[in-house]
Amino acid sequence: MRTLELEAAGWSEHRAGQHLDVRLTAEDGYQAQRSYSIASAPGEPPAITVERLEDGEVSPYLVDEVRDGDAFEVRGPIGGYFVWDADEAGPVLLVGGGSGIVPLMAMARHRVRAGSEAPMRLLYSSRTWNDVIYRDELESLDAVEVVHTLTRERPPGWNGYGRRIDDDLLREVAFAPTDGARVYVCGSTRFVDAAADGLVRLGYDPSSVRTERFGATG
Amino acid sequence: MSKRTLDGNAIGGLLLELFGADLTAAPCACDGCGAREEVARLDVYADCPGVVVRCRHCGDVLITIVRGRTRTYVDLRGTRGLEL
Repeated sequence: MRTLELEAAGWSEHRAGQHLDVRLTAEDGYQAQRSYSIASAPGEPPAITVERLEDGEVSPYLVDEVRDGDAFEVRGPIGGYFVWDADEAGPVLLVGGGSGIVPLMAMARHRVRAGSEAPMRLLYSSRTWNDVIYRDELESLDAVEVVHTLTRERPPGWNGYGRRIDDDLLREVAFAPTDGARVYVCGSTRFVDAAADGLVRLGYDPSSVRTERFGATG
Repeated sequence: MSKRTLDGNAIGGLLLELFGADLTAAPCACDGCGAREEVARLDVYADCPGVVVRCRHCGDVLITIVRGRTRTYVDLRGTRGLEL
């Protein structure tokens, strides 16, 4: 896992939740392209957090090889659906699985940076405590209420949630459907479907639950 | 069905390149069942030759995009319309 801060000439300010495309071109002209969510808040330089996938074409380069000053092609910012703007005052529920935290982190940072008063709650599902991305920052984030669930292994004395997200867990953590919260769910297809369907069963309007599915394409 | 289902967020960059606009938040109506969803909420299969976009409700194909050597072929027959 590595976070890269990019210096992109001509970059127009991104919105929280947007992504960018990275395109690498080999000497023989072969091209590989991947999408990465932007982790930094609007107004900051675009940063991406890349998980190294074995057998990947792009992520091993970005995690292991790229050095300060190296250049590669970037397209973006992209996306007008999975975005949150700090001038929206209502409560915000963020639901992330694994590396699905990245665009949600941009929203949390945006809330802090913009001084928003919007109540924000993050439900974050990870396999183990060591898999929690941005762990130290999340621990110190007073502006956002963070609820972890660890699905595979819990540290000794863990008293938080220890299972995959299900309807009971969502009922305990989510704002009441009548609170008018905007919801952002990001993770694997299975994670997103489970969380979004569960929230709709709780009474959330499907149009208030914005989703982004991550594909592990390396 | 392929396990590598993505959603319309994943083709935001491709659509931006082809149409010069971000279409992920644009509502798109299915010609099969009439359901209307933002492009970001449609099912996307990108691990086949080209990109296939399907309705999340009825599974009908809404859009296919195939890149050729010199041009790109976009088939929009399955959509009743896109709102921009």
